[in-house]
Amino acid sequence: MNRPTVVRLTGFSVLALALWFLPALQGPLGFPIFYLLFGYSLLFWFAQASSWNMFTGFSGYFSFGQGAFYGVGVYTTGVLASKQGWPLIAAIPVAGVLAAVLGLSLGFVVFRLRRLQGEIFALVTLAVAFVVAAIARVSSTIDGGSGIALNNVQLPEFLGAYPSMMFRLGLIIATVTIFAAATIQHSRLGWGLFSINDDEAVAESLGVPTFRHKMMAFGLSAFFAGLSGAVHAIQISYITIEDVFSIRIPLFVIVMSVLGGMRHWMGPIVGATIIHTLTDRLNRASDLELFGGNVTVSLDHLNDIIIGLLLILMVLAVKDGLWPRLVRRKWVGAGAFIVGILVARLWAPEMSLIGQFVAGELGAVVILLPSSEVIDRWRNWRSTTGSPDAPSDRPGVGASR
Amino acid sequence: MTLYGQAIISGVLAGGLYAMMSLGVSLSWGVLKIINLAYFSFILLAGYGSYELATSHGWDPFVTVLAVVPVVVIVGALLQLFFEKVKIGEFESLLVTFGLLIMLESVARSIWSADFRRIPSTANPYASSSLKIGDFAFPTPQLSAFLTAIVIGLLMKYLLDRTYFGKAVRALAQDRDMARAFGVDHRRVAVILSGLAAATAAIAGVFIAMSQALFPGLAVEWFGIVFPVVILGGLGSTLGALGAGVVIGVAAAIASVAWGPSYAPLATFVILIATLLFRPEGLFTRKASV
Repeated sequence: MNRPTVVRLTGFSVLALALWFLPALQGPLGFPIFYLLFGYSLLFWFAQASSWNMFTGFSGYFSFGQGAFYGVGVYTTGVLASKQGWPLIAAIPVAGVLAAVLGLSLGFVVFRLRRLQGEIFALVTLAVAFVVAAIARVSSTIDGGSGIALNNVQLPEFLGAYPSMMFRLGLIIATVTIFAAATIQHSRLGWGLFSINDDEAVAESLGVPTFRHKMMAFGLSAFFAGLSGAVHAIQISYITIEDVFSIRIPLFVIVMSVLGGMRHWMGPIVGATIIHTLTDRLNRASDLELFGGNVTVSLDHLNDIIIGLLLILMVLAVKDGLWPRLVRRKWVGAGAFIVGILVARLWAPEMSLIGQFVAGELGAVVILLPSSEVIDRWRNWRSTTGSPDAPSDRPGVGASR
Repeated sequence: MTLYGQAIISGVLAGGLYAMMSLGVSLSWGVLKIINLAYFSFILLAGYGSYELATSHGWDPFVTVLAVVPVVVIVGALLQLFFEKVKIGEFESLLVTFGLLIMLESVARSIWSADFRRIPSTANPYASSSLKIGDFAFPTPQLSAFLTAIVIGLLMKYLLDRTYFGKAVRALAQDRDMARAFGVDHRRVAVILSGLAAATAAIAGVFIAMSQALFPGLAVEWFGIVFPVVILGGLGSTLGALGAGVVIGVAAAIASVAWGPSYAPLATFVILIATLLFRPEGLFTRKASV
């Protein structure tokens, strides 16, 4: 292990260990139990978005197959833990392995076909989710079409009561997944994947083992998606084919990663935080009544519209996502975040903690997304016109970047 | 054996509908290099439009075509105009139209709710009527959809093979820059072609509203049918889509009868993978171009 890996490992372990004791602090600090479950779902989306991004974001091969891998994970818990009576802890690794097997066999077929680069690959992976769903529907050992209730699963009691247990399971899986994504990014595998993203033919002629790299990344991505799905089955508690294999999982991981930025492991984390907190608040918000109560707009429906609109805007206008902008303009982002929170506090003092957080996020997003170009242009203009207070240490920042 | 005979008949008839549903995706992908998933929402919204006119305003389901098609054509052409404006690439188009699909599905859900919606039989006498030849039944909506698909297919074929417009389309499909250099107005061709494709999608939507119950999730479900048809038929091939629609329809119908309806997606997926492995240019095209 080289030094950066050791540093990263230490950092991740310390952070995870600190969060591990968060459920124990629930009593003394007196925050609502709901926050633990909210934390779990956030960690679930971290794991899903990171696992998707470690293949797609790095290699540029767009996979809609996340739904299939997640679904394999969910149904492994359903079949092994509920129907066969395995303990949950034993079913989780099996779920990861099964999802990885699905990913590797799919990759084995499609990565050998030159024609399947790009768009057709995306569509084939989308079709795979339908097929896995169809198999689960016809096979009575898996589902048979009636769904599975998970009320008899043997839960790992040593992790605490239900909310603490979910939080800790989510924490373990999210930490491992994010650590894997970060390690891949800085490894030979990551460099290989980025070179595939840039130009696969050139990468191959320079000796990058493209097939092996793609297989490894796709297998790992499927593995973590399966692990995280296996835990999430407990949270869903009644699993049906229609819900598990719906388009929601691929849609959300795509939007999260595109929003956060796909070429860095932090991108999906940032995107997942924003999307999850935002949709959570929208789901819980009461219906808006417009025009003196004549028109009622349910915010549930707005949810999907906002997600779709966000995807369109990001793809068309902000291709590199939020993370690179956040790195370049830390203080602008932090300032806008604080201003957002302050505005929310003044405007609606009774707003919950998550609501305030969302307000801060929105402030940062609104400032960071359009500002980059504007600030660059302004800096550029100042440095070329030779204004005396122009920052002398960064000549010509902007257009050249 | 009657059972299988009937399955083949309904498969062939469904194939016409599948071809109409796939034509938009196939043409815009093959010719314009835009993967437009929004056609699924066009089909869905056209279906709901037809449902609304037939149920609340007492229109004959066939007549609703006159109102639904122009609206969808305008929307389709405007969308293409937007794509031309932002100069969208093949890959971005997939994501952007995916976002659009999700938005429009959500719009449909907030207007018509997630429940099944079906034109009541009083307003739609065709749903239960059929033409009987011997032991076999040809349900009116499916039969008319099939005949319409053949007419549309032949018209499109004529348009693409025999007219100046068709020549421009084929030139664009083969080499966009060269076609431009020879004076083909890319934007005009693209907008007209998208309008035609949207019209086909709208007609398919009307037939779907006539023959089955609608719900917002359909738009995503159709994907499992349309994508195999597009690949099997060959990108941008009109008669290919028709032939592929029939193959997929028959395969799905036979699988449903032999093993049960849940096996239909498996049959179509096996065909899709086999096509991609052994004949990626599609069954019905001679060369990989167009």
